[in-house]
Amino acid sequence: MADFVMEARHIYKTYGSKNSKKAKQADTDICVGAKHVVEAVKDVSLQIRKGDIKLIFGPSGSGKSTFLRCLAMLDIPDKGEIYLGDECLTKPGVDLNKARARIGFVFQHIYLFRHLTALGNVELALRQVLKLPKEEARKRALDALTEVKVTDCANKFPAQMSGGQAQRVGIARALARNPDIILLDEPTSALDPELTGEVIDTLRDLAREGTTMLIVSHEMPFAQEVAEEMIFYDEGKIVETGPPSQFFNAPSTDRAKQFMTRIIKRTTRE
Amino acid sequence: MFEFLLDPIYQTWIVQGFLLTVEITLFGVLLGLGLGTLLAIGDIYGNKPVKAALAVYVEFFRGSPLFVQLLLAVYTVPAILNRQIDHLVLAFLIFGLNSAGYQKGYMKGSIETIFGDQMQAGLSVGMTKIQTLRYVILPQAYRIVIPSWTNEFCSLTKSTATLAYVGFMDLVGAGRSILINNMQIIPVWLVVAAIYLVWITCFSKVMDIIYEKKKIPGIELLMQ
Repeated sequence: MADFVMEARHIYKTYGSKNSKKAKQADTDICVGAKHVVEAVKDVSLQIRKGDIKLIFGPSGSGKSTFLRCLAMLDIPDKGEIYLGDECLTKPGVDLNKARARIGFVFQHIYLFRHLTALGNVELALRQVLKLPKEEARKRALDALTEVKVTDCANKFPAQMSGGQAQRVGIARALARNPDIILLDEPTSALDPELTGEVIDTLRDLAREGTTMLIVSHEMPFAQEVAEEMIFYDEGKIVETGPPSQFFNAPSTDRAKQFMTRIIKRTTRE
Repeated sequence: MFEFLLDPIYQTWIVQGFLLTVEITLFGVLLGLGLGTLLAIGDIYGNKPVKAALAVYVEFFRGSPLFVQLLLAVYTVPAILNRQIDHLVLAFLIFGLNSAGYQKGYMKGSIETIFGDQMQAGLSVGMTKIQTLRYVILPQAYRIVIPSWTNEFCSLTKSTATLAYVGFMDLVGAGRSILINNMQIIPVWLVVAAIYLVWITCFSKVMDIIYEKKKIPGIELLMQ
């Protein structure tokens, strides 16, 4: 078990009236209030080793993001276990805040702290969670910003940055604590193509350094380049798993074949 | 017509009355802000009994006149507790408690506008809910709430006029005392009204400036 940085075993997560009370208690859920029941995650298991780079892709609304949020315990799974190293996060009484401090999370819509500068965004957790002294926190925050090449934005506020800069600050914020793993939820899909490039370059750098990452993304050339494994996710389930070459040459399931055809068509059109 | 303003005794009354008005308003809005914040957090996070208790509190203080609350406090609380309590202390408390009833609503509104994504972001870096509230959500909520808070200040300032009718020398109390001596109804009330007007206008202007200064840089770009 300790072989894995992170492991998910038979995760289930349902939204909707059936669990609305539970969903409300988690209070990080976005879909609270949905009338119909949505089974976003149905019996999903996944193992990630140190240094792994895995990429989850699939149609929108299929539950990829929910699964990712479950891994970070930002959404609490209804059933199943999540391990971070040796620690089971789904057991009652686990200090989830401590666990989340060891997980980096990058959001699709970035979610920087709006009232803080780039530096402040990265520094906050270093000061309040890791309890680093002021100077050390500042130094580490600057290092993280340097790593993603946004030092020129250090004193800018989120609303003053471009989307690409902001997302790189988001990555720096996730990185600065030296987390065991970084989970990225469609980090480029809210950006225009030009800005996407900057963020992809940053991720490529991280990949080169051996950062353990699980990325939800549809950036196919990037996936082909850095991912060891691609995971096709549809209707709350993992449909097919394999190396990028498998998906680009001959996906074994029809559903994946269909999806890949469409996505490659779109990419070439661009 | 306004010669009474030259009388040093009247001057002292007016100044003292004005100071009492200012003190009790500032104390009231600040206690109201602190307590209102806690009430808002309780209302967002609390379980059903907590929410119900908060609702009773809020409806009592919003649903009955401040003047009646003041009378109740001054005339019944000492009797119930069976001890002498300085009326001024009671009045200060009532203003704070009353204002909290209103400010809970303002705070809840502004907390909820910035709530979802910022709370997720805070939790995602390993902060607790309380840390996220303290370092992320409240600093933003307090910026947003400034205009509502300024309104509350204006409204509470004028509510202090009720103090004169439970025996305090606030600004209206000073006006009444001067009237009893000189019988110049219109000039005295004009002066009292002018003092309120000037004070409230100046204070609101200062708060407007603070609001603009405290705005998160670049945020206006998002509002366009």
